[in-house]
Parts: sequence; structure tokens; C-alpha cells
Amino acid sequence: MLLRTILIGAASAMLISAAQAQTPTVKIGLIQPLTGSVADDGTADVNGEKLAVEERNARGGVLGRQIELAIEDGQCKPAISVNAAEKLIQRDKVVALSGAFCSSATLAVMPVAENNKLPLITGVSSNPQLTEKGNHWFFRADENDALLAKAFAKILTQQIHLKKVAYVAVNDDFGRGAVDQFEKAMTELGATTAMKEYFEHGTTDFYTLLAKLKASGADGVFMATETQDGSIFVKQKAEFGLDLKVFGVGSWATDDFITLAGSASEGIYAAVPYAYTMTTPENKAFVETYKARYKGSPGEYSVAGYNVINILVDAIARAGSTDGEKIREALTKTDFVGPNGRFQFDEKGQAYGFSVVLVQITKGIPIVAASATIEP
Amino acid sequence: MDLLLQLLANGLVNGTFYALSALGLTLVFGLMRVVNFAHGEMYVIGGLLGWVLTGVVGLDFFTSLAVVVFGMGVAGWLIDRVLVSRVRDQDEEVGLLLMIGLSIFLANSALLVFGTTPRRVLSPFPTKPFFLGPVVVTQSRLFVVALCAALIVAAHLLIQKTALGQAMRATFQDAMAARLAGIRTEGIYGFTFGLGTALAGAAGTLLGSIYVAEPTNGGLISLKAFVVVILGGLGSFAGAITGGLILGVTEALWGGFVSTNSVDAIGFALVIVMLLVRPYGLFSKRGERP
Repeated sequence: MLLRTILIGAASAMLISAAQAQTPTVKIGLIQPLTGSVADDGTADVNGEKLAVEERNARGGVLGRQIELAIEDGQCKPAISVNAAEKLIQRDKVVALSGAFCSSATLAVMPVAENNKLPLITGVSSNPQLTEKGNHWFFRADENDALLAKAFAKILTQQIHLKKVAYVAVNDDFGRGAVDQFEKAMTELGATTAMKEYFEHGTTDFYTLLAKLKASGADGVFMATETQDGSIFVKQKAEFGLDLKVFGVGSWATDDFITLAGSASEGIYAAVPYAYTMTTPENKAFVETYKARYKGSPGEYSVAGYNVINILVDAIARAGSTDGEKIREALTKTDFVGPNGRFQFDEKGQAYGFSVVLVQITKGIPIVAASATIEP
Repeated sequence: MDLLLQLLANGLVNGTFYALSALGLTLVFGLMRVVNFAHGEMYVIGGLLGWVLTGVVGLDFFTSLAVVVFGMGVAGWLIDRVLVSRVRDQDEEVGLLLMIGLSIFLANSALLVFGTTPRRVLSPFPTKPFFLGPVVVTQSRLFVVALCAALIVAAHLLIQKTALGQAMRATFQDAMAARLAGIRTEGIYGFTFGLGTALAGAAGTLLGSIYVAEPTNGGLISLKAFVVVILGGLGSFAGAITGGLILGVTEALWGGFVSTNSVDAIGFALVIVMLLVRPYGLFSKRGERP
């Protein structure tokens, strides 16, 4: 009798735990570059997303279910990112997509999200065109180059006194888009263009560009690149003995950048959506948990990933469902306060209300020199 | 004028670096006829190893370089013994597939072990600017150029002047005849592949002190190395250095006077022209393939 009771007890306990294990997770699909020359930045983004998921799951997940990330390597290439999106939607049955880092890759994934009626949100892609496509399934939880250019051109011409500017950028949608926007904004404020050059991702030798830069007579150089290319450029600029003010967009104030560039990073200005030295209480808490989890300070891409997951999970909770249309509807009503300010979306899916900062790297620390709020 | 001089200097330095990074390939692809797609990955692993030894373990640069050369040499010998020897007498496609597989395996293993962060090999030479008239170079670059020249001369002497080199040339000309003459050809294959790998690793460490070593960069290195080897002619060291210099200078001038964003296409344009005009490369002696 006793034995039977125990057996029944054990069996029912097993059934319950089996039932718990079977509660399906809420899957979110990630497309980030995990190989290639922006792999480093893509990994930082994934780290931020993982941290947000861990925090959310510790607080009980969403809709009473745990959150799971399905991660694919899009390599920042349009075709590969599209394949990754198809795989995540068809095989992994994700409820929303986050990605695909490079503007060109995101642009390619946008129609896939639309066709499958699934929200796609990016925390990184900054080409202004993306939110002008009339795609209601796409949301951008970061600044775009036009907004950033508007916010910073004033500081650059009036406070840093740039007059003759050289533009150097990576040869893709992000680099070309950033140069177009900044050149336009700077020219309106009276600066002239000394030179405009593009280079490929993964370029290792910039001496040719530097020789041209020297001959151009520019008093400052505007750069749109990611960590790897940018750090090599400034290092070689120092080797070259070229004394120019450098102003960068992309990931210019991260720990990795400063470590890689070493003393050459001294004095560089960077327009960043985020610096870990920002002083909001949300940011202090975020930096602390991030450091405890990853042994290093978060960069803009880590916080971008962190924000994207939080915004998505909030929307899923508000929607009360994993239905794509309902999540999309809930996303339009986003009001999230992240480490770098408050996020809301306008009718085109462009976020506004958060802060961007101009930092100057001083003795290896990005010191906030000025800040601006992104207005709708 | 100053710009032209600077561009020429950049091109020559870069050209030497291209030659250096193609040395291992000219042995393995040029002499052994193994289409080594994993060359770039071997270069990268050499660079990462250099970083571990100088940056983590704390050895000095030259000791590290010696360890890298030895370690990569042994690894290359093992790869030949365990993998390449199995496909030696089969069709070229089999070897091709093997090397593609090896390159994917090496790149992803490096990613797994080292992560995605680019690493820098610590070099004892200052990177402060150094002026030759209007032209800027750095001591560390000049030093690598010198070391590169020394490596090329050493490898050339080894192959042309020593008994071992003679055995190598004999083996790759006609393995059967070489065996009949008493040469242990399997040992020669292993040694050549090991030497090629060691040279790739040495290039990775040397150039890792100037640029960075990163696990995902192997593909581009391989591509440029193939361009250099094809331009110069298979298996020729003089060809590798000339091919490297042509590529370096053309890229610098194109980047300087036309535009920098199309610079990576230059090498391939050169290869197409070369295949049309001199399909055997600049320095290769015309000969029937075995």
C-alpha cells in the first residue's frame, strides 16, 4: 500500500515536471554577423540580447513562458541574412526577428519579415532609408544617420571648429549613408569638403588613404566605420604622424576599440548612441550587471541588443499573445526606458526620445563632451 | 610629387608584405601542386599564436617567432602525414575539397578558441613616424621588410643550393624517378608542407605586429596570396617577390590617384591580364605538369 502510494506520487511528480518542461518557450530570432570583419560588434550585440533574456527569464519570462533566443550568423551579407531569416521563421518558428546589423543586410531581411507578418526590429542599422520604405513590420530602436548628423553637425562646426573636412567611410550602405548625411549637414553650416573616400570592410593597410588625406589639407576627418577597421585606421594615422581631429560614427568608444587602438585613440571624438560613462541610474545598473556577466564594459552594440530584447518582450507582454500582428500593434505603443534614455516609435517605426552623446577619448576613457536628444 | 613618392613607398612596403604572406603558398601550391585554400587560415593561426606568446605568455618577440615557426612547421608536417598524404595520388578535385574543408575547420576552430576580437602581436620596434624626406614610414615596417627579404633569400638558398632542396625539386618534378634514385619522397612531401605552413605562420606573426591577427581574416589573405603566386609564377621565390611588389605598387597608385574603394579588384584584373599574356607567370619556367 505504502509502496503503491510512493509509486503514484513519483509518477505524478514525473508527469508534472514533464508537463513543465514541455511548456513551449517564446522564441526570438537573432540575425547578427558572427563571422567576418564586424563579427566582434555582432557578438557584442548578441551578448546584450542574451543578458536581457537572462534577466527577463529570471523574472519569470513572458506570458508565463521562458524566452529563448535562436541565433543565426548573417555575416552582414544580404543574401545570407535572408536565408537566416527564412530558416528562423520556417524551422525555428520565432515570433519576432532582431537584426541584421548592417543596413544592407537589414534592408534585405525587411521584405521577408513583411511577407511572413513578423515584426523585425534593429538596434544598429542606421541608414535613414530603412524607415522610409513604408514597411510597417520594421522598427528601428536606434538613431539614424540623418538624425545623428542633424544633432552633431552643429557641435562639430561650432564647438570643435571643423572647416575643411575629409570624409572616409567603409564602402557599404552604412558608410555611404553616414557620409551623405553628415556632408549635407556640415555643408549647410559652412564647412567645405576636402576629400571623400571609401574602403572595403577588412582593409588592413590605410597608408594610401592617409597619404591622400595628408595631401588634401583637411583640418579634420569624419569617419564612419566599425571597431576593427576604425582602430587600425587611427593607429596607422598616428604612425603616419598626421595631426588631425578625428570624429567617428560607428563603434568608436568601446573598450575593444580603445584596447586595439592603444595610445592612438587619445583625443578622438566619437558620436555614439551610448557611452558606458553615461550617468543615468538605468545605465549604472546595466553597466554593473554587464561587467559581472562579461568582464568588460558594454559598448553601443551591447546596449542596442539589450534594448531590442526588452522592447520586444515588453511588446509581447502587452500584446498578451505571440501573434505577429498583435506584437506589431503593441510595438507601436512602446515606451521603454533603457540605459541610454527613453524609447518611443513614430509612425514610420523610427525611435525617438533617447540620448546620443559626443565623447572624447581621454586616457583610454570615453568622456562625455556633449549630449543631444534625438527628436522625432 | 610628395604624394607620388609616398604612394610608391607604401606600395613597395605593402608589396613586400604580400610577398611574405605568399611565400608558404608558393611552396605548397607552386611546388607541391596542393591548392592550399587553408593558407590564409595558417597565416591567421600563426598570428594568433604570436599574440598568445608575446601578449599572454610574455615571451620576447624573437623567441616567439622561433616557437611559431617550429610549432607551425610540426603542425604542417602532421597535416601532410595525416591528411594530405591520403589524397596524394588521387584526382585534383579530392585534394581541393580537402583543403577547402581544412580551411573551414581551421577558421572555425580559431573562432572557437580565440573569439572574434582582433589581436595584436607585441613587437619591440617603435611605431613612431620616421621621415625619409617627404616620405613617412615606421621602424617596425622597415624591420619587417628586412626580415621578409632575409626569409625569402633563406628559402631560395634552401631550395636551390642544398641537397635537401635538390631532393625537393627532384620529387616534385618526377616522384617515381626520385624514389628510384633513393629519395624518401614521403619525407620530402611532409617537410615541404611543414616548411610552407611555417612560412605562413611566420608571416602571420610578423604582419600581426603591424596590422592585427583575427580569426575571420584568412579568406582575404588566401586570395591575395594566390594573386601574388599566379602573377609571379608557380614555385618561384623571385616571382613571389616581384608579384607582391607589382600588386602592392599597383594597388597603392590606383588607390591614391583613382579611388580606394575599388582597390581589391586590382589584383584580379592583374591576374586576368597575366593569364592572357603569360599564363605561366613572370618567372616560371614553361614545363609540362606531371
